[in-house]
Order: sequence, then C-alpha cells, then structure tokens
Amino acid sequence: MTGTRNPVRDRVAIAGAATTGFHPRNTNRSQASYVAQACKAILDQCGLTPRDIDGLCGSLPAAPAVQSMLGIPEVTWFANPMIPFGNHLAAAVSAVYSGLCDVVLAYHGAYRMAWNTGSALKDPFRRGVEFGSGGTVAPESVAGSVGYTAWASRYLHEFDVPRKHLGYVAVNNRTNALSNPGAAMRVPLVMEDYLSARMIRSPLCLYDMDVPVDGADAFIITTAERARDLRLPPALVNALVLGMIDKNEEDQTPGLRHHGQQVTVEALRAKSDFWIDDIDVFLPYDGFSVITLNWFENVGYCRPGEAGSFIEDNWVANEDGTGRILIKGRVPVNTHGGSLSEGGTQGSGHLREAVHQLQGLAGDRQVEGAERALVNIGGFFFNAQGITLRRG
Amino acid sequence: MNKDTADISPADVSVSDEELWSLFPGSVDHDSAAHYRGRLRRQLLINRCAECGIWHAPPKPVCPSCLSERVAATPTSGAGTIFMAVFLHQGPPAEGVDYSTPYPVVTVELDEQPGLRYSSTVVGSPNEEIQIGRRVELDWIMRGNAPMPVFRLTGPGRA
Repeated sequence: MTGTRNPVRDRVAIAGAATTGFHPRNTNRSQASYVAQACKAILDQCGLTPRDIDGLCGSLPAAPAVQSMLGIPEVTWFANPMIPFGNHLAAAVSAVYSGLCDVVLAYHGAYRMAWNTGSALKDPFRRGVEFGSGGTVAPESVAGSVGYTAWASRYLHEFDVPRKHLGYVAVNNRTNALSNPGAAMRVPLVMEDYLSARMIRSPLCLYDMDVPVDGADAFIITTAERARDLRLPPALVNALVLGMIDKNEEDQTPGLRHHGQQVTVEALRAKSDFWIDDIDVFLPYDGFSVITLNWFENVGYCRPGEAGSFIEDNWVANEDGTGRILIKGRVPVNTHGGSLSEGGTQGSGHLREAVHQLQGLAGDRQVEGAERALVNIGGFFFNAQGITLRRG
Repeated sequence: MNKDTADISPADVSVSDEELWSLFPGSVDHDSAAHYRGRLRRQLLINRCAECGIWHAPPKPVCPSCLSERVAATPTSGAGTIFMAVFLHQGPPAEGVDYSTPYPVVTVELDEQPGLRYSSTVVGSPNEEIQIGRRVELDWIMRGNAPMPVFRLTGPGRA
C-alpha cells in the first residue's frame, strides 16, 4: 500500500557533500582514516565545526567511534543503518525533520574488505572490517551478491537480449569516469573490451560488477532553513522511498516485474513533485549492471526488457569506441562513473554526485544549470531506494 | 517448531542439536533445524503450513500467508524446473568444488508450488546443458560428513 503523503517535502536539505576519491587497490590506511578525511572536508566546505554537529549517521566505523575520533562534543541522535546509503539518508532526514537533531554528519567509508577480494584478504588489518552480508559460506547459494548474477541470467533468458545490453552500462559509466578525478577506473573501456572480459560469475563478467575501493564520502544534512544560511545552495530532499516486498530473499523474489524497485517507483512518483521528464541527471545504482537496466525500465523510460534498446537509441558514440547515454540528447546517467567505474560506494557516490551536480560543483562533467535529480540507490531485494532532489 | 505440530513433522530427533550444529556449522537455528535433520535422511524438507497448505522457503517460524504457527518441515519431491542459472568462475573454497570448470549454481522452481524455489548445484551434466527451463530431479552428494541436496537434469533439452 503506497501513499502520497509527504510532509517532509523540501523541508530537509543536503547542505554539502565531500569525497576523498577512490582507490582500486589496498592502501596502507584504515577505513576510519578515509571517513575522517571526508568528514573534515565536508565540515570545511560548509563552514562548520564539530561543535555544530548534533547527529551522526554511518555504518562503519560505528557512530560512537566516529564521534570519538572527530571530537564531536555532544550529539542528541545517531544511527548505524545497514547499507546501501539510502538507508542513511532516510534516517538522517527523518531525524532532522522530527527534531531529534538539527545538523547530521552522515558518512560512508568504502573499503576493500577481506571477503570481497583476494588481495584485500592478504592485508591482515582488513580482516576485521565487514559490513553487509559478507560472503556466503557455501557456493551453492544465490544469497548475497551472487543473487544479482542469478537474476541477470533470468533477465537475459526472459527478454532474450544479448550481454551487450549489460555492456552499455559498463561503457557509459567508464566514459563518464574519465571526467571524474576521484574515480578509481580511468582507462577507457569499449564494447569489445567488455565482451572479451574475464567471466567472474557467468553470465556476468569483470565489468558488470562494482570495483572494490578504499575511500569515503561525507554529507551534511540539516533543515532547509539552516542549509540556506550555509555556503552552498542546498539540495532539497523532495521525496524519498525505501521500497521492499515480502518475498525479498534473492531466490524467492517473484520476478523482474515484481520486486522492491516497483514499490519504490510507485511511491516515489506519487510523493515527488517531478519525474523523469523534468530531471537533469539520472543516477541509477550499478553495483551490478543488470540493476541499472531494471531501474531504467521501472522508472518508466521503457518497458521491461527494453532498457538495452532504449540505451542504444539514446547513445552518444565517440570515435575511439567509448560512448555514453544522453537521454533524449539531454540527460546524462551516472555522470561520476557509478559503482562500476568510480568505485563501489554502496550508493553514497550516486547521492554525492547528485548533490554536486545540483550545486554546480561537478567540474568537467557538470550538467549546465542542473536543478533536479533522480537517484535510485540499491538493487531488487531489501535495498531498492529512490530519492528526488532539487536545487533549493 | 511448535510442540503441537511435532506429530506432523518428520524431523529426526536422533541427532543432538550440538551434533547438528557441528555437521552444518554456521547454518542451523531453531527455525531451520528440521530442514537440516531431513538432509541427514536424504529428504528435502521445506516448510508447509498445516492450516492453509502454503509452502514457504527459507524456513520461518510462522506461515507468511496466514500467520499460523503450525508450520512443519515437509518432504518435497525435489522435482522442478531451472529458473535461474549461474556459473561460478571463482568462489568460496568448498570440498569437491573446482572452479577450473565453472561451477553451476541453479535456483529451481519446485513442482510443489509456483514460486517455491530451492538453490543448489547440478551434477552429472556438462555446463552447456544446464539451462533455464530444463527439468531436474533431486539427488544427493556428501559435503563433509553430511548429505547435501543437489539437482540432476532429466528429460530432453529445451528446444
């Protein structure tokens, strides 16, 4: 059951967003050090000090450790939500709107974890750091990240489309990452590279899966009034939904036409003041390429199974074989490079990029005059999230 | 498992909880113990509601369809149709699993009820034959000291 009630509309703002940039290899640093760097940067950018913060929200390190690390004297609210980062934004927006606190420092440390890559496992100081479900114990399971490969197999079978359709997501994101100095992957990628890449979990290859990285993002979330008094134009949260259905286990989810994304889209459309015809930038999650295709279909650009064809029709090809999506010649997609090429940030990167686009801080990849963004963080199961943001 | 449903449960109580935990480390809890005890007798048990008859997986303490607590781990035929198919070129270390040939992992829609699915590997067929839409039956292999349910292709290939 979805409703249109949305009293929080435009009442809470993201006042700023900062990043450390991302590294696709083990660095000799802790996750906490990246979080500290990003938090310090966002405080500086917004002209705030630790004394101005009274709310804290992040997964790892946990909020008490971050408060202690940054010397934030007192908070009246904190939370350690599960990934992806739409959960953090929803918690922070609710806390600010309800008055549990006024100024939230929200952070996300992306970190190469021992369960995720063989080379990360070789660093003993990474073995104690873990979020999400981690690796599954036995291989005979589609729980966790394998679930997206399973549904990719279903997508290709049900809609009878070639892997090339998934490849467009990888090529688009890599081309965009070339304009993002903070992106982990900045070597051009063309479709031939995609189609000849090493398979990891067939039908998905190396370039269908997000890049494990070290780095962090941080955000200031506060009332729209307070944000207007700070240095940068606020990104107002127009609407926000965390959609989910009952059968949300990876192998029990009913089908590609019925999972969390459809719930999110229906509710977000009902609550938001604008939709896809009005946005200037689209940031659909791409932890796995098949997720992005499904977001295109579910937000309404095309019908189920047609995302690849839609992208072909809205593709800007470069002479060197790179290329990118420009919807109706106007709206770019995952301008920062997404999880596939900026790095796997569990959604904080998509949100940060939206804020930077609306604030005019996106550098070489700035969408001129960007005023509205649609951000769809997460996948199908217990993580299909939607946020509409507008420049305040 | 509710006491009053013990009469309709085929759960094997001859293995202690401690022994069950050691046979399936990290996997068993009070809601899934009956399923794992079934594996020891090479029965694929899936939870079914004694009141409304609806099956559900993975095991839950109540029936998600009618909220009855009278759910019981119930034998399935293990026959079904491949719904999704993955081939792991790398993955977690496991006894008998060699990723030099990509390791198949399938989700099978069981014949007992539309949408009721179980995931495992497929034995006895080359990967190119393991395709969505193929019919399978249940088989068993050993993992450690415990039987593990797996699938085997049956019938002709899908056109």
